Amino acid sequence: MLDRALNLLGWLVVLFILGPLIVIIGGSFTTTPYVAFPPAGFTLRWYVQLMHRGDFLHSFVISVVLAVACSAGAMVLGVAAVIGLHRHGFTGKRFFRAFLMSPLVLPTIVTGVALLQFYYLIDLDAPMTGLLIGHVLITIPYVVRTVGAGLVQLDPAIEEAAESLGAGALRTLLKVTLPAIAPSIMAAVIFVFITSFDQATVSIFLAGPDVMPLPVRIYNYIDFAVDPMVAAVSTLLILFAFGIIALLQKLLGLNKAMGVGA
Amino acid sequence: MSTRHRRAELLIYLAPVTIFYIGFLILPYLMVLRLSLFRFSSMRLYVPEFTLANYAAVITDPFYLGLMARTVGLGLIVTLVSLLLGYPLALKIARAGPAMKSALIAITLSPLLINLVVRTYAWLVLLGDTGVVNTWLRGLGLIGAPLPLGGNLFSVVIGLVHICLPLMALSLIGVLERIDNALIDAADSLGASRGRILWRVILPLSLPGIGAGSLLTFSFAISAFVTPALLGGNRVSTIATLIYEKFTFSANWPVGATLVVVLLVINTAVVVLHGRLFKEG
Repeated sequence: MLDRALNLLGWLVVLFILGPLIVIIGGSFTTTPYVAFPPAGFTLRWYVQLMHRGDFLHSFVISVVLAVACSAGAMVLGVAAVIGLHRHGFTGKRFFRAFLMSPLVLPTIVTGVALLQFYYLIDLDAPMTGLLIGHVLITIPYVVRTVGAGLVQLDPAIEEAAESLGAGALRTLLKVTLPAIAPSIMAAVIFVFITSFDQATVSIFLAGPDVMPLPVRIYNYIDFAVDPMVAAVSTLLILFAFGIIALLQKLLGLNKAMGVGA
Repeated sequence: MSTRHRRAELLIYLAPVTIFYIGFLILPYLMVLRLSLFRFSSMRLYVPEFTLANYAAVITDPFYLGLMARTVGLGLIVTLVSLLLGYPLALKIARAGPAMKSALIAITLSPLLINLVVRTYAWLVLLGDTGVVNTWLRGLGLIGAPLPLGGNLFSVVIGLVHICLPLMALSLIGVLERIDNALIDAADSLGASRGRILWRVILPLSLPGIGAGSLLTFSFAISAFVTPALLGGNRVSTIATLIYEKFTFSANWPVGATLVVVLLVINTAVVVLHGRLFKEG
């Protein structure tokens, strides 16, 4: 009796999680000027309208460029830090790791505000640079966590073998360590890319009128209109996210990538 | 490798990230702290004269005290609802067979990879006066006038729960999967009912997960900005939405910075409290 009730409640929660996304996807094809579900008729006109919105396309390009640059920056800084932590023992190592993870614990709105007033103070009037710094800052913890987990599983004997056979530190790094943790680096790149691409809170504070990432553009748009065009752009973003999930699943299994189970 | 070599290597690995963090994390945070001690000026954003007036105002003004109470209350409601909904889901996932388990985990985690603004927009569409839910209910003849589902505390809670649920479920699945089935079998063979097993065996063993999930959910909920701003319809203000307002429209940066410090203090207090309650973490 109790088990069945809990089971039913579990299914209702699944519905609660998926329902809104299904409504958005279905509603993006409606012929009505508002989002209706089930959709009234079928039309692609909201997608066509979206393709003619220069501002949305521009924002999409900015988001992609930002996410790519952010991935590069966060990987260089994050992977170097994780390898340094992995190879060397030093006092305060645990503290240093916690320090690296701190942007994940600090509220993103606070990080956004802190950077906003800091840029004003140092007179940095370059929104793209400002956004990039903010995005790299909040994505480094994902690299530390994901690549760090990959390094823990790496047998130290392999690196020792390479070094005892005469490979230098750099050669060992490039030919042994990095290839061995390539899957976790791949997973980290995907996480960083999607986190940057989806980031809204920090970006709202740091974006400029000409440099507006897609989430900020949508945010500003729905503040005054909730029409099916937003459902269309949302649907495309949902498909994008599911594509990424499929990719992750294929690369290393979703459970492992998300840190669930063993 | 000599000690000196190792030192140099360590420096190469850790120096870049350390400099980056000092320059763009520690320094900006210190500057916010400094800003909270400056005087407000309506002509400029702030005047660099030290004062404790902002703190005095925030700590004594009933408006700000109410704001803090409301924000903490919102955090507690969202945490409680997320726990009540997340627990059955996590139990279901922990007990499912391998194929069902992967599918359910994928479903549970998928919102994490979907844009926050998009997820919030979905609830905007569902919960408005002429939204999908009200249209359905009216179509079924269940209600005459639309229910006030949107632009209030209800919609903000729903939106935040939808976002926090995966975090909560994730924390719970981890501990529930590690519970030894032998314990449940033992309780069962000793004659305990399913309800008693859940209440006396499973629930106590999953407390660390409940603690971790609640901490994540609460700190996310009290500092969330996008969801209360969009779903609250300008009627639900939290510390986070007021911070935004102070740094944009009303341009009162010192008070905004003071609210930032308040938010950080609440967050830290919760983390410390959590550490006390769940020692091993």
